[in-house]
Amino acid sequence: MPAKLRFGASLRILLGGKDELTVEPGRSVRATLASLDIKPELVAMVSVNGEMQTKDYVIQEGDTVRLMAVVGGG
Amino acid sequence: MNGYGGKILRVNLTDGTVTKEPTPPDVARDFIGGRGFGIYFLLKEVPRGADPLGPENKLIISSGPISGMLIPGGGKCDWTTKAPLTGGYASASMGGHFTAEMRYAGLDSIILEGLSPKPVYLFIDNDKVELRDASDLWGKNTFAVEKQFKERLGEEFQVAVIGPGGENLVPYACINHDYGRQAGRGGVGAVMGSKKVKAIVVHGTKSIPVADKDSYRKAGMAIYKACKDAEGLKDWTRYGTTIVVSWCDEVGALPTRNFSAGSFEDGKNLYGPVMREKIVITDKACFGCPCPCGKYSRNKKYNNYVEGPEYETIGLMGSNLGIDDIEAVAQANLLCDDLGVDTISTGNAIGWAMECYEKGIFTKKDTDGLDLKFGNVEATFAVIEKIARREGLGALLAEGVKHASQKIGKGSEKFAIHVKGMEQSAYATHNATAMLLAYMTCDVGAHHNRSWAITYDLQVGRDKVVPEKVARVIWLQNFRPMFDVLGGCRLQWVELGIDRDLYVPALEAITGIHRSWEDLDKVGERIWNMTRLFWARENEGFGRAWDMPSPRFYEEAPKSGATKGQITKLEDVNKLLDMYYEQRGWTLDGLPTPETIESLGLKAVVA
Amino acid sequence: MRLYVDNAKCSGCNACRVACSLNLFGENNPKKAALVIEPQFPAPGVYNVKVCTQCGDCAAVCPTEAIKQDEQGAYYVNFDECNLCEACVPECKEEVMFVRSELANTAWKCNLCGDCVAVCGTGALWIAETEAVAA
Ligand code: SF4
Ligand code: SF4
Ligand code: SF4
Repeated sequence: MPAKLRFGASLRILLGGKDELTVEPGRSVRATLASLDIKPELVAMVSVNGEMQTKDYVIQEGDTVRLMAVVGGG
Repeated sequence: MNGYGGKILRVNLTDGTVTKEPTPPDVARDFIGGRGFGIYFLLKEVPRGADPLGPENKLIISSGPISGMLIPGGGKCDWTTKAPLTGGYASASMGGHFTAEMRYAGLDSIILEGLSPKPVYLFIDNDKVELRDASDLWGKNTFAVEKQFKERLGEEFQVAVIGPGGENLVPYACINHDYGRQAGRGGVGAVMGSKKVKAIVVHGTKSIPVADKDSYRKAGMAIYKACKDAEGLKDWTRYGTTIVVSWCDEVGALPTRNFSAGSFEDGKNLYGPVMREKIVITDKACFGCPCPCGKYSRNKKYNNYVEGPEYETIGLMGSNLGIDDIEAVAQANLLCDDLGVDTISTGNAIGWAMECYEKGIFTKKDTDGLDLKFGNVEATFAVIEKIARREGLGALLAEGVKHASQKIGKGSEKFAIHVKGMEQSAYATHNATAMLLAYMTCDVGAHHNRSWAITYDLQVGRDKVVPEKVARVIWLQNFRPMFDVLGGCRLQWVELGIDRDLYVPALEAITGIHRSWEDLDKVGERIWNMTRLFWARENEGFGRAWDMPSPRFYEEAPKSGATKGQITKLEDVNKLLDMYYEQRGWTLDGLPTPETIESLGLKAVVA
Repeated sequence: MRLYVDNAKCSGCNACRVACSLNLFGENNPKKAALVIEPQFPAPGVYNVKVCTQCGDCAAVCPTEAIKQDEQGAYYVNFDECNLCEACVPECKEEVMFVRSELANTAWKCNLCGDCVAVCGTGALWIAETEAVAA
């Protein structure tokens, strides 16, 4: 089973409207983002199945990985 | 008047009289509420050259039309005054339930003027308004006073209170409410202290009239639904503002050892999940908020309860002091809240003193015998207490880093991190030019809440100095503070990314006046220019030099972390200002031109 | 059907109470809501939420039979029939039967409209047959 990448509203704007992508497990979040041409540093928060993780987290089968950016700011 | 409590409460502390006047409809139309009311009354009523702690200064406390309504985040209260910290404009936003309660008592603003000869508190229960003796409360910490009022008057009363910091006129004293929400910045607590007002307690049972009930309910419900459907709701609620600690560390924005770097080698111990796991017990919201950022924590090591720490405090009381223990940060947070001093300015003051100590500018003689190295937790606690009481080293640090460093000299001015005398909030800006500009030009000093642009910096290129960045900063400066005008919170838009257009029909249904965001941004621009005119009115020679950031960001590249070796060039700092002034319609010295004043309809204001 | 609450999730925002007053009275006034949020701060630092269990005890004692039951089993006050005698108030173990004549010319209670649930962002409130159905 592949994993899902979901994008928060603010990242969707950065990414031209996409809100969900299916990705292959087995790679880190950082590597996955890079392969999608998304600057990893734009992503402020990675949450995997509801728990915050680092970008070095290796995506597992069936994971839902939510990515957030802070566009409007703190 | 639809959407308003309808009354302004004027409290003259010198002679102890309270009067009510109707909220002027034209002011409501043009300035809407909150921060808009604040600057309007400040410019109109506080005479030029007023001593911030003298009888002529006023403390203007305002709600806005979405405060206390069925609109997510309608719990923000604006506190405007002439700032003791900077001698310029101050407007501090306070969350919680105070602003809603003011409205239920029929009040849009409360204006405190004059000076009371003895400690008092302001009691408001619907139409009953009294100044009461507070001699027995004077000297007490904030939590104890709030608790005492809640026990005596009941949970329905909302309490705003100053601590010893405000009583001792520390120019960055804050006002506390709801056990952990503050009007934090610029010294609003000191102004309240100068007036000898220990607390304001308010309770109201009135309904707020709206123009169109059905549309209002529908529009309000729609914003709640958008928040609840937002992708980020669960994660945001779980971590609140601590969601960004790890990211700031990663991108070099986490202030470390008095802003000498933007990444902290022990930062991991301060990250959101660590805090959630170790100390957080309850999610705590402001009035009407579906996405509570308040993380109420039980701090086992120091056996205390505190709301927070949130991001700013983690940055300034944690990494900025070289402290990597989240429980120690929580304790420092609690001390600041309880004693009534702003965690951001206090963290800066201690960071500056630690650097003085490590550089040999201070010896133990200067630090009351404390070994004031970065990372010294116990010394940090001790200094917070000294600041609030203005004792020993605390008396110096209580001046704020600008004045303290001018007094000490020896190059310490170079690492006093402030703009216009206000200490910088928790984003390191060695290589993030839009964010640096946001700090330089913020209308209260180095604060992040008007405009925040780090992601934009990363997107466009951190060291790029281009007109788009400047335009972005200006747009945010006009628009974000509008939430403080409306009496609400910006984080539903910022963090959950809900569509700001959802507020348009809600605001119209409440007030009966249609305003698009274009109209609202325009109001924001007028207010921005008014605050600038206030600065210029109150400070001779005000201009470009006042917008300069701490030299740390253009002279000293960090020696470690994500921004190692990176720095903004001085010529770029100047270029940023040139572009900013041009886009704002200001002179090269940073003052609104006559044409700009005219086009914004502000001629009467300058006259 | 009744309203359930998980205190541990409540953030004390009071949105539910504004929504409630809008439903019951068409007014923006949480003091006229049929549920209560009791903050317990600084310690133990939780919110205690009081909601109606639809037990019917209030209806049983109402001398004018102003408290009626609707199709979904919810007891509601017919405002026109209430004479403010306050007999219902002490009957309510949950302390969510209200008479405050300075605020309204009638008693009021939860009528299970669900608006509070709609605005609660934390999932602290839900309506169900039994508590076990909790989200
Ligand atoms: S997001 Fe935080 S600051 Fe904003 S209204 Fe909610 S609890 Fe208050
Ligand atoms: S108001 Fe009280 S007595 Fe009446 S049904 Fe609800 S819980 Fe029972
Ligand atoms: S809406 Fe939910 S979180 Fe807010 S006070 Fe009511 S029950 Fe608590």
